[in-house]
Amino acid sequence: MIYLDNAATTMIKPLPVGRAVLKAMQTMASPGRGGHEPAMRAAKTVFDCRMEAAELFHVPSPEQIVFTMNATHGLNLAISSLAGPGTRVLVSGYEHNSVTRPLAALGAEIHVAEASLFDSAAMLSAFERQLPGMQLVVCTHVSNAFGFILPIYEIAGLCRKQGVPLIVDASQSAGVLPVDYEKLSAAFIAMPGHKGLFGPQGTGILICAQPGSPLLSGGSGSDSIPQLMPEYLPDRLEAGTHNVCGIAGLREGIRYVRQSGLDSIFAHESELLQTMVTELSGTGGLTLYTDRCRNQSGVLSLRSDRRNCEELASLLGEKGVCARAGLHCAPYAHRTAGTLESGTLRFSFSPFNTREEVSRCCQFIKDLL
Amino acid sequence: MQYLIMCRSLTWAQRSAALLERSGITASVVKAPQGLSTSGCGYAISIYRRFEEARNLLLRNKMINGKIFRRMENGEYQEIG
Repeated sequence: MIYLDNAATTMIKPLPVGRAVLKAMQTMASPGRGGHEPAMRAAKTVFDCRMEAAELFHVPSPEQIVFTMNATHGLNLAISSLAGPGTRVLVSGYEHNSVTRPLAALGAEIHVAEASLFDSAAMLSAFERQLPGMQLVVCTHVSNAFGFILPIYEIAGLCRKQGVPLIVDASQSAGVLPVDYEKLSAAFIAMPGHKGLFGPQGTGILICAQPGSPLLSGGSGSDSIPQLMPEYLPDRLEAGTHNVCGIAGLREGIRYVRQSGLDSIFAHESELLQTMVTELSGTGGLTLYTDRCRNQSGVLSLRSDRRNCEELASLLGEKGVCARAGLHCAPYAHRTAGTLESGTLRFSFSPFNTREEVSRCCQFIKDLL
Repeated sequence: MQYLIMCRSLTWAQRSAALLERSGITASVVKAPQGLSTSGCGYAISIYRRFEEARNLLLRNKMINGKIFRRMENGEYQEIG
């Protein structure tokens, strides 16, 4: 099998992740629910994961690391804290449904800063032009469909200057590119635990600059008498029992990322992207969505004139290649890129993929076309 | 003698204990004995040695947000701050 769907989830994880999940399942109870050893062991594991995340993302206090089920959960928390009916919100043209659907559900007034794929300067200009009058910005760091790395730090600078709060969707950048809480000054930064951070599915992190509004109310483990959720983090946004096994695994995933180094991870994925682009360039009837790999993470979308993307994905699947076809839950991105009707076939890499795997995949594609 | 510094949350207690441990002061996170919290269940940091030093360190770092108790010989807790 050649697994190239890491933008959906990193199926292949560092070995300590699985071991930690199993150990937690066998030895840990719930943090904040008792004073006995299994509960305190769970509490230590959860706290250690907060500390690892705080170090990786330059967050001054571990309380600002809130555990969520996934990035979608975190984005819903963040968006519902800052937007309501009629809130004027500016998003990029590359947002995922986990941003645009909550905004639509709340009745926010959505404005879209559009720019061509991989054109950072144009994207920044679009934000600069449209930011005045906005009440909130929600922006992805990296497009899940195309790997376009948006100029998020510059966009954050614009937001700071104009006093507009920013929510960053770091789903595709956490664990691959620097996501620096202090430099971004974002109100919230949401990310999944199960992609670039190599945690299990069912984990996510929301970095909070402010307490936010709870989506769930329930047990927080302390301060039990008041009938409203606590005012302070992380308890305010973490009602109910934690996914301790998941968080135990996530801790190991984050440790792996910190030990490997973001530069090394990004360089490896970029090399794989370059390999695929080089080997597929010139293949008849194939459109590769890249600008010489500029402003692009380890994600490549393509389209063929000869087979539709679902068919291509299915045929590659028969050869053991795992890739994702369609709209990738990002119709905004495909509309902006002009691929809303056809969708694309997306390949996304991880540090566990090799050049040899990518070359074999490219050969399969050429054979099928 | 045991001292308990009440904390607003488990995470706060853990962070406080970590700060003390980094300074060489042994501190552990414990579930607060019944009756010490006025708002239901709570967590505290338990310190046996170098209490004054610990308190000052936490105060300097704005890490004290709860009551402080000393355990008496009869096993009961006396509020001291």
